[in-house]
Amino acid sequence: MAEKEKKKGGFFQSVKEFVYGVAAHDSARFALKTRASMEHLFILITMGDMLGVPILPPYYSLRLLPYVVPQISTWKRRMLREKDLTDGLA
Amino acid sequence: MNAIYVLIIGLVVAVIGYRVYAKYIDSKVIQADPKRMTPAKMYMDGVEFMPTSRNILYGYQFKSIAGAGPIIGPIIAIQWGWLPAMVWILAGTFFIGWVHDYSSAMIAMRNDGASFGGLSHRLISPRARIILLSFIYFYLLLIVGAFGAVVVNTAVALKGAPMAWLFLTIAGVLAGQMIYRWKVDIIVTTVITVVIAMAGIFLGTLAPSNQILGDALSNSRWLWAIAAFVFCYFASVLPIWRFSLPINYVAAYIVFLGLFFGIIGIFITHPEFTLPAFTSFEIPIGPIWPIMFVTIACGAVSGWHSIVCSSGTARQLESEMDARPVGAGIMFLEMMLALFALIIAGTIYSSSSEYAAALVKGPGGVFAAGVGKFLNAVGLPLDYGKSYGSVMMIVLAITIMQLVVRFMRVATAELLSDISPIFKNVHVGTLVASALGMILVITGWWQYLWVLFGGANQLMASLALMLVSAWLISEGKPAAWAMIPMFFMFVTTIAALLYTSYNLLIVKVLGGALKGEALIGNTLMGLTGIFLVIAALILAIEGFKAFRRFRTMRGQAAPSGA
Repeated sequence: MAEKEKKKGGFFQSVKEFVYGVAAHDSARFALKTRASMEHLFILITMGDMLGVPILPPYYSLRLLPYVVPQISTWKRRMLREKDLTDGLA
Repeated sequence: MNAIYVLIIGLVVAVIGYRVYAKYIDSKVIQADPKRMTPAKMYMDGVEFMPTSRNILYGYQFKSIAGAGPIIGPIIAIQWGWLPAMVWILAGTFFIGWVHDYSSAMIAMRNDGASFGGLSHRLISPRARIILLSFIYFYLLLIVGAFGAVVVNTAVALKGAPMAWLFLTIAGVLAGQMIYRWKVDIIVTTVITVVIAMAGIFLGTLAPSNQILGDALSNSRWLWAIAAFVFCYFASVLPIWRFSLPINYVAAYIVFLGLFFGIIGIFITHPEFTLPAFTSFEIPIGPIWPIMFVTIACGAVSGWHSIVCSSGTARQLESEMDARPVGAGIMFLEMMLALFALIIAGTIYSSSSEYAAALVKGPGGVFAAGVGKFLNAVGLPLDYGKSYGSVMMIVLAITIMQLVVRFMRVATAELLSDISPIFKNVHVGTLVASALGMILVITGWWQYLWVLFGGANQLMASLALMLVSAWLISEGKPAAWAMIPMFFMFVTTIAALLYTSYNLLIVKVLGGALKGEALIGNTLMGLTGIFLVIAALILAIEGFKAFRRFRTMRGQAAPSGA
């Protein structure tokens, strides 16, 4: 019985996820992309010297560093990864 | 033949293709490994690279690849007869379509989630990247033209469609406001906005555009083309959450419900094919080979899918084992959608002349009439069903079109900003992209436009298969399963583009058959076709050099990153 219910739940969960994928997954991805590009712009302004773009005096960068640390590896990868026209489409 | 048999044949082909052929390639050739780290896990950034449930990716992939393409192609191609169209849909998907989608996802996954520009640079040559990207720009222009023509033809032919389109836009904008600004519950938002969109479809039947605007305006292609590009303009310049995405969100429910109940309607009515199985090898738009093979693009094989698979899906697959169900499985689902469109065109008219008269006004009318008939079988009034079908057609076309115009705006800014900084302006970039598209929509002949779009689309597919073949050879894996489809698609699409461009430029333009505004659009279409052929030939030469290089290197280490 419990297994049956689990199976039923699994099926409805799959349908729910499929509908989410059709209707809303794209929206969520674009929202995340927008937020990420804003955050990365901020990190570029404050920590640009990590990529060879000295913008702010190091003092301010050091003050902000603890808040930015968790995102640095992701930011560097996204900034330095090769992008092309097709990245905007999907 | 009964339509149910067509669906059953389609199902059998899909099951054999998915469970036997695709499984063999996945397990024996590619050797998908559940333990191998995917780019989604390795480079997880919570944005583009993000492990995502397979079920969500089914929906995402289906929504991204199934636009107006798989519906319009079969509706036009049935002019050669439903049998050749059906055989190409089934064989194309079985031997080429899933191979292309699955391998595009797999090559990106095995190359750190790189997109096609990076892959062509790495696997073929630096020049290949530049040519491929300029090819993609003109390919996108043809998408805007072909889909714009569908929107305009549908709005002109079906007078209830514009009201439904307007209400859908209002519902979408409201959905964006409710979700992102007012923070209203998503279910409440969905119910309210979908009901508003449905009400628009109903109002369209009560107040058709000719009653409101008069016959002259409601039949004006200019008016609806301007409306379509104003729509795309807002989609391009406004924040994406405010206009483009929420409209797509509401539209997804309209399309999904229509398809679901439409297929139930087919099972209830189980109609017989009334159009002939085969008509002739040659029809006014061209011979069966190569033109039919590019007329049905998305339902059999489509280059658009490779862009979605490489730049979108491959970065979200949490396991290599998901590439087959998502990449190949959803392609077989799209094949079923193309068969659905074929059944609509082949069964709802009592004679070929009746079908031909309907097709003159555009494929949107044929599709809407079919949806109306099959929704009627589940209890929806015929007029409402037809209006529903017309808005489905507009939605399927314009959701892709608005995305492409937005994207072309960015590409225009990148390409032309060196000439003048004014092209960096979002409004100027959008106007350039819209103006190019509008020239095609207003002044080009829609059937040739569709053939050119199909040709460019499938040429893109053969270029994607060329990248896959280069990668397979570099890895020392068997490559025939990708190379043979690549050769076939390359030769077919080059022939189709040359045939269509020859007809447009030599026969129509230089022959003096076209005058006035038709001269502009058809010349532009012909020249675009020639450009795409030249770009593809250069890429092919570069590709073959890469094949030779990899063959001599076989046994040694694969190129960096592979």
